[in-house]
Amino acid sequence: MNASPEPSSIAPPAAGSGGDAALASRLAARDAAALREVIGLHAAALHRVAYRMTGDAHEAEDIVQEAVLRLWDQAPKIAARHPVGSQAAGALRLGGWLQRVVTNLAIDRLRRTRRLSDGEVPDSADDAPLADALIAADERDGQARALVLALPERQRAAIVLTYYEELPNAEAAEAMDMNIKAFESLLHRARAALRQAFASQGDAP
Amino acid sequence: MSVSEPDQGAPILPGSALARRLDDYAVPGLSAGFADRVLSAAEARPPATLTPLPQLRRAPRSGRGWRLGRGIAIGVASFGLLATAAAATGLLQQFDIPVPSAGKVWASITGAASAAPPVAVTAAAVAKPAPSEAAARTPVEIVGPVDTPEELAEAFRRIDEVRQGRLNARSERIDQRIESAIERRRAAGLPPPTAEEEAAFRTRIEAERARREQIADERIAARRAEMQRKIESGEALTREDILRPLREDRQALQRQERLRQLQAMSPEQRREALRRLPPQQRRALIEEYRARRAGAAGAQPTPSAAPAPDPVPAPAE
Repeated sequence: MNASPEPSSIAPPAAGSGGDAALASRLAARDAAALREVIGLHAAALHRVAYRMTGDAHEAEDIVQEAVLRLWDQAPKIAARHPVGSQAAGALRLGGWLQRVVTNLAIDRLRRTRRLSDGEVPDSADDAPLADALIAADERDGQARALVLALPERQRAAIVLTYYEELPNAEAAEAMDMNIKAFESLLHRARAALRQAFASQGDAP
Repeated sequence: MSVSEPDQGAPILPGSALARRLDDYAVPGLSAGFADRVLSAAEARPPATLTPLPQLRRAPRSGRGWRLGRGIAIGVASFGLLATAAAATGLLQQFDIPVPSAGKVWASITGAASAAPPVAVTAAAVAKPAPSEAAARTPVEIVGPVDTPEELAEAFRRIDEVRQGRLNARSERIDQRIESAIERRRAAGLPPPTAEEEAAFRTRIEAERARREQIADERIAARRAEMQRKIESGEALTREDILRPLREDRQALQRQERLRQLQAMSPEQRREALRRLPPQQRRALIEEYRARRAGAAGAQPTPSAAPAPDPVPAPAE
């Protein structure tokens, strides 16, 4: 499996030290090298989040591309709000900003897909001798993915951000535009749902 | 929660069974040239595509004035709701508080002359449809379980309506995605497809869509015939009877589709596709193929002298 390496956090160590403000300033000046730098710093982590949210590599790339392009579009405003050397510059975290956009885009797409999904109509249960085997095999298939993708969108985002990306609750809450209490409640429900689903897969100890 | 029952929402401990299962969810890397594509798209991005963004920080709340005003507004609205509910339930009459009717209130606002009973006006103005026409227009109401042919037909009609809406929306989405893919190619400096290529591509999509719809239609017809038989034999169907099997079997369909795609690949592509799957999925697919092949062999009493090669060769491990 061509799995990407998994650094633990979206934000690079330089984030928050004013480096992001300088980067934003270069983006605002339409410096393509700065955009490449942003992609190099954040795209892999953003892609992980988007992929684990959607379960689709192409969709995930689309989401990351859209988020980066939005940053490109908005860079002048962001740079104006966080001038290099100012106190505000130290608070700017482009990784967190991108994370929020990616999370919201993924949730939006999942909701839209859910609305549009399902032209599929199942075959009759008794018409194929292999139907049972298929269903049984399906139950064994992709159990890890199935566990995560079975969660509702927001619960899924909470698990992806805190478990897979190891973000602190406060940062994950910020990425989801929630206050910390509401996020912790959501995370609690998400873990409970995950455990129940895991138990129902039959492999839980 | 009892002491013996663990907290279901507790953090997931590293090394636990659940954590091991979750860790199986691997992520493929970004495709080659991703950065270049984004850069090309950024450089070609016209200013008109600027989209509003979420604010970096929450908009600062205005001061105490708005909070006070909001509190008053909520209070007034709540009081109004409670008062309306009390009037509607007759609670106020029990305490001998007179409650004017809506007609009286309207008359007090507009004057007695305009307080003519509206029912009479509408009854006079609107001609009653003929009884047969009215019967034809009467919507069928589904009360409780579906147990009459009319109710079943109405359920089918509603399902068809929703399905048609989804099909239309999906077609629009396909068009949008094709447009955006072409746009991305242009932005990346790649030649866009010619009109013939695009037409051929759309034809292929349309053929695939028609194939899926045909399968769906056949299955729908089979299911509906089965439901109609049940209704005719006096059984009642609940909403769950109609909808649940669809949801439960969806995964099996996706799996069948995946198998079909694998079969269409060349051996090298198939081997590569299998290699990219997590081991568990790969094993499941291979088992499934073997089961299918065994089933096919069992169905054919005259096996060939040289058995056909396994459509999905086990990858070298």
